[in-house]
Amino acid sequence: MDLAMRLGLKYYTFISQVENGFSRVPTEAMAAWATELGLEPAAFAKHLLLYYEPELHRLLFGRKV
Amino acid sequence: MSVVAFAHKRTTGFWDEVELNTIVTALSVAGSGREWETGMTENGDPQFYLLGPLPDQACELSVSRIGGRYILEDGSGRLLFEHQSLAIVALHAKAAAARSVPWWFVAHVVLLWCTVRQIVHEKVEPWLAESEELLVELAPQLVTFA
Repeated sequence: MDLAMRLGLKYYTFISQVENGFSRVPTEAMAAWATELGLEPAAFAKHLLLYYEPELHRLLFGRKV
Repeated sequence: MSVVAFAHKRTTGFWDEVELNTIVTALSVAGSGREWETGMTENGDPQFYLLGPLPDQACELSVSRIGGRYILEDGSGRLLFEHQSLAIVALHAKAAAARSVPWWFVAHVVLLWCTVRQIVHEKVEPWLAESEELLVELAPQLVTFA
């Protein structure tokens, strides 16, 4: 709920959508999410890519999880 | 004197059967064959997710109930509509689902159209041209017989 407020969302429901694994953090919002979570945007995006596009992550970074 | 009780409006807890039926009925018309799921937020508010096609099955629309208010959002978190009446929100969800025709469906239609055009171009058109040629050749002879 706190994150939703900091991101300027009226409701926190989208955060739950993402947390429950039904939606992805939109690419254009990744930097804002990272900043509000106190993370480095590139590292945050790279970590999300591991879950969203594991094959692309493997091709780019060469590690399979 | 008889007192008619108003239907109790849920403000907390998981979806009840009437609520789920309202959403599923509205959305199944717009996108038959699409799957759906339910979940809860960290605060225990119920969520309904209309899912896209396999393999990703990403959320295309979601309906949540927060404090007796129904919230309609798309898969990117855009707030599409909100109201205290689920019936009205379900109508908006139906319209939104109809608008968001999945790209794979469009791709299939385009592919089908191109295939049909190609078949017509390769098979039917030469046959028609041949028939026309034959008719042009035979027509004077047919006229002689007539």
